Amino acid sequence: MKLTRRDFAAGVVAGLAAPHIITSARAQGATIKIGMCAPVTGPAAESGRYAIQGAKLALEAVNKAGGILGKQAELIIEDDQTTNPGIVLAFSKLAAQSDIVGFLGSIRSTQVHAMAPDVLKLGKPVMIGGTDPNLTHMGNQWLFRFRPNDSYSGRVIAEYGVNTLGKKKWAVLHSTDAFGTAGGKALTAALEKLGAPPLLDQGYANQSQDFTPVVLAIKQSGADILGSYFTFENDLGIFARQLRQLGVNIPWVGSPSIVNITALKLAGPALYNTYGVADYAEDSSEASKAFGKLYRDAVKVAPDNQSSWPYDAVTVLAAAINKAGSTEPAKIREAILSIKKFPGAEGEYNFDQNGDGLHGYNIVKNDKGNIVFDKHIEFND
Amino acid sequence: MDLVLQLLFTGIGIGAVYALVALGFVLIFRATNVVNFAQGEFSMVAAYLMVVFAVDLGWPYWLSFLIALGGMALLGVIFNLGVYYPLRHRTFLPVIIATIGASILLSNSVLAIYGPQPQVLQGWFDTPGIQLGPVYLDSQYLLIIAVTIALVFFNYWFFEKTLLGKKLQATSQDKEMASLLGISVSTMIMITFIYSAVLGGLAGILVAPVLFVSIQMGSTIALKAFAATIIGGFGDVAGAIIGGLALGVIETFGAAYISVPYKDGFAFLVLVAFLIFRPQGIFGERVAEKA
Amino acid sequence: MSAPSDNVPIPAPAVRSKPLVIRHLPYFIGAAILVALAAGLRFDGYILNILLQATTFSIAVFGLSVVLGLCGQINLAQAAFFGLGAYAVGIGTTDLHLSFWLCLVGGCAIALLAGAFLGMSTLRLGGHYLAMVTISFQQIVTLVMINAIWLTRGPDGVPNIRRPELFQTSQSYLAFCVAMLAIVGYLVWHLSDTKLGRAMRAVRDNELAAGVNGIDVFRTKIYAFALCALLGGLAGGLFAGGFAYVSPDQFSFAESIVFLTMSLLGGVASPIGSAIGTGLLILIPEWLRFLKSVPGLYLAIYGLFVILIIRFMPDGIWGFVADAFNRWRAHTKAPPVAAALQLKPATVGGEYVLEVTGLSKHFGGLKAVDGVDIAVRRGGVHALIGPNGSGKTTTLNVLSGLYEATSGKIVLDGTDITHMPPHQRTAAGLGRTFQNIRLFRSMTALENVEIGAERPGNTMIGKGEDALTERAMEALNFVGLGNRANELISSFSYGHQRLIEIARALAANPTLLLLDEPAAGLNSTEKLELHELLKRIAAQGLTILIIDHDMTLVSEAAQHITVLNFGRRIADGESMAVLRHPDVVSAYLGSE
Repeated sequence: MKLTRRDFAAGVVAGLAAPHIITSARAQGATIKIGMCAPVTGPAAESGRYAIQGAKLALEAVNKAGGILGKQAELIIEDDQTTNPGIVLAFSKLAAQSDIVGFLGSIRSTQVHAMAPDVLKLGKPVMIGGTDPNLTHMGNQWLFRFRPNDSYSGRVIAEYGVNTLGKKKWAVLHSTDAFGTAGGKALTAALEKLGAPPLLDQGYANQSQDFTPVVLAIKQSGADILGSYFTFENDLGIFARQLRQLGVNIPWVGSPSIVNITALKLAGPALYNTYGVADYAEDSSEASKAFGKLYRDAVKVAPDNQSSWPYDAVTVLAAAINKAGSTEPAKIREAILSIKKFPGAEGEYNFDQNGDGLHGYNIVKNDKGNIVFDKHIEFND
Repeated sequence: MDLVLQLLFTGIGIGAVYALVALGFVLIFRATNVVNFAQGEFSMVAAYLMVVFAVDLGWPYWLSFLIALGGMALLGVIFNLGVYYPLRHRTFLPVIIATIGASILLSNSVLAIYGPQPQVLQGWFDTPGIQLGPVYLDSQYLLIIAVTIALVFFNYWFFEKTLLGKKLQATSQDKEMASLLGISVSTMIMITFIYSAVLGGLAGILVAPVLFVSIQMGSTIALKAFAATIIGGFGDVAGAIIGGLALGVIETFGAAYISVPYKDGFAFLVLVAFLIFRPQGIFGERVAEKA
Repeated sequence: MSAPSDNVPIPAPAVRSKPLVIRHLPYFIGAAILVALAAGLRFDGYILNILLQATTFSIAVFGLSVVLGLCGQINLAQAAFFGLGAYAVGIGTTDLHLSFWLCLVGGCAIALLAGAFLGMSTLRLGGHYLAMVTISFQQIVTLVMINAIWLTRGPDGVPNIRRPELFQTSQSYLAFCVAMLAIVGYLVWHLSDTKLGRAMRAVRDNELAAGVNGIDVFRTKIYAFALCALLGGLAGGLFAGGFAYVSPDQFSFAESIVFLTMSLLGGVASPIGSAIGTGLLILIPEWLRFLKSVPGLYLAIYGLFVILIIRFMPDGIWGFVADAFNRWRAHTKAPPVAAALQLKPATVGGEYVLEVTGLSKHFGGLKAVDGVDIAVRRGGVHALIGPNGSGKTTTLNVLSGLYEATSGKIVLDGTDITHMPPHQRTAAGLGRTFQNIRLFRSMTALENVEIGAERPGNTMIGKGEDALTERAMEALNFVGLGNRANELISSFSYGHQRLIEIARALAANPTLLLLDEPAAGLNSTEKLELHELLKRIAAQGLTILIIDHDMTLVSEAAQHITVLNFGRRIADGESMAVLRHPDVVSAYLGSE
């Protein structure tokens, strides 16, 4: 029974040797390869599975419709471990395979930042879902975005609050991580443009256990509307409850996390009658409804933006390569940028010269726990 | 003034959470001279046990509560036998590292089973809170404060008035002397681990309805609780409670009047300041070693 | 185990050691080959990234092998120091347009200062405090990285970090990093044999003994901590150049734990172990990807392994291998020969070597020592006796500085040492042994005695390692253990360990030697040997202050006796007269 040092050492050796035996044999064939970095492991592994499902559904559709340039398309998935070094490794692994013609990057902005230098070096098109506006504005011509960036979410929140709800005294609350900071900045800028600079611009650190000081600050600022960028659902849940407990009942328009299923479960009634921006809303268009049905049938879960953007990315990439008639990176890029009025699950794609495909958001409302599509706000500049 | 009162209540509520976890730290430290870095994970595991029984299986709340605490006692036994006991004759360094390993093991095992999504656990009371003049009192925080106060008295009674408590005291003060008196030191240490696992679990179950049940819930609280024990004076039960409450209040007021994003930093700044200017803490600890 | 060496005659004079550089030529050749391989082989991007990560992380883990392995102090903030270096290079080469080299040096300096400051504020406390403070520091650094957007660009991180002109390609940069790794590895490897390295090991093995052997414990710990931080900063700077992008989440508390585990897995005490551990912990996650499809499972196993490694492989993989290798290899090298030990106690002051007046030590209300006067005449053996609990050992601890005196004055050979820390008293000429032996248990007998010989102010050693070894050998020969000099402490019997402790004190050439119950736990033969030894020491003119219960030993060895009871001096004078003193008789008969 007693485990000796020697036994333990033998175990360690065996454990270290095992992985050598499990080496992957990669099939070689006449296919068009698309690389995908996805969080198979790590904290975002669950949403990673959704993303892969979305991409695979699009791939099936593409192959059913004749494939890419007459060949069947194939998806090569590498695990980004939900970390920055992880995605750098994953992308370099994919980049080493010269027959991959295009890539799907990450929905997380920091990860895209991390891999961006390598993308520039490689010079092949990479589809991304990260919404930090800078990503497509830093001279990296190989990044193409399949979600509206945060300057739009900020503008949509501001536009909806100021023009539709008619509120001008804003409190802006955002997480201090990459996503929240960029979003908060965009919202503040948009509000300033609309002539309603926020009365309060408050950041908070993720995994705060208490929001009383924040709620009291909002209360004291005299704001009559709240705009928020929350990253984690538990923070959102704690805040929402404390907000209501301390008697703040002003309208609240939040970033996509406010309509996230987990957030609805955690916060319950505290989130009733709030508004959220959503890049994917099932009822927003015919294409969205079609994707929703396809996804529900295949995966048996409600569709969300984790799966809709990879779906669109693969569809658009395939269409662009077919249109270009070549897998040469420069020609693919040209073809993607020329795509206009392309109906996708996320919305209508009109690529601009920066590589941003979408320029608007949907506004949805929390109606006693049900998420209802309210309106779509699109910008043309 | 209303603002100050509201902040004070919240600060004391959060501080009581730190104090509860800090108590577990102090007990183990006094008995074994070891800092248990997995103390926060005890809280997390207990909260997930509640989710399993009270939410997933739908068993009555009180029954689930008893089962969860029983599970924590078992975890305390396993922890002692698996992590502390084999290393008891080594210096504190390997033991600290082993408890860090245990903390990684516990939190990630739960992650593997339950996934990263936070879970909801209902509180004891149906009413979420009471409005007392200008101040809103969250009922769960009221409960936490009450339990903390009760534990202060319980610990006093237990350690000063009962035979078992006196034996535990004797063991933590001088192991050799205790064993000469016929006290089984290893049994006493086992009891200490069980008691502090249960205490940690209690803290986790109490705090879960407020902070939700998540993998990280324990580690964040534990770091603060640890800071609280040092501020209070290492190894001192009253010190841990006062330290916890002080930290909660400092943090809340710091967030309100200085900076929200740096809120977590205040705890650590206060801690470093204490270490530089009053390392023995509020209540003091013997720092010297015998030759 | 030691049987063969006991009777083997000491071999011919040791060969004069060759210059260090030549002896270590194989290392440099090996390193040069590695650098050439890194520069020459064609790697794909993936392998390159892995190698770059392993190389830079290894340097940071070397830092831990200094602070944790050599000095026995915990550091749970290595990722923060790593991050300081990385951000210095990141921000410096992009926003500030500074040269890479300047930024790298700057980053190292910042990490060094942060480490030294952190050390100065807490290393006096050590242990769990240090663990907590390093965690706090880690959290604060992370918070600043995220929130000080004007400086760090916040959570977006810093992209497009530049490399030096000379190493623009990834391949050449890797070769540069491997070269740095080889240099740092060499320095860390040899650190343990330097004076500082020995001091660190002494502090790790036994802080009290290190202090009374003339080592400034506090300063040694700060050096170790600052050095660790410096290596973390260097590694971070190299990492930033390699990956061209840094963001706060790469330098979180979790990463500090990863560094710690790397260090433990490979073997905390050696750079080779550190490199092995780092390599494995970068490769294992790549191999075990299949485990990671369930979030948490991989890390759970990781946590389990941390516990198992601590339990079953306390010295890590390399320690395990090295241990097995050492056992298999016949024996350690034979010790060098040495001349007879010379003790030349300093003679600065007057007739009395030690003058203690009105010495008191109170613990709260307890007066353990209360107004005691002791005057120790030069060149004699003076005994301090008294029943149990009379305050003898407390007196000795106050004399050697382990306790601060409540009041009174201690003058050693004309120098007032009342308020000095232990190591300064040692430098002033005080040597001591402990009742419960305090040797540096991970070292050989020779190394133990070398640390004693290294005391600041020892006039009996020349310059250089060779002189040090010679002095230590002389002392070991003096106590009759010279032929076993290169054996580990654990292979010696209790009595022999006591002799080594005395040799350690003698090698320092003290002015006054304090012996705390040297006969405790010895059998009658050993007691006789001890008595002989004391005579030989006294014959060289060294003054001894001895505490013991053994009345035979005391009455035969000491010319002068001071008797304590209940913390007060009850008798003092010539041996035989004191032992017949009625108060002394009643004190002993009354209480024992």
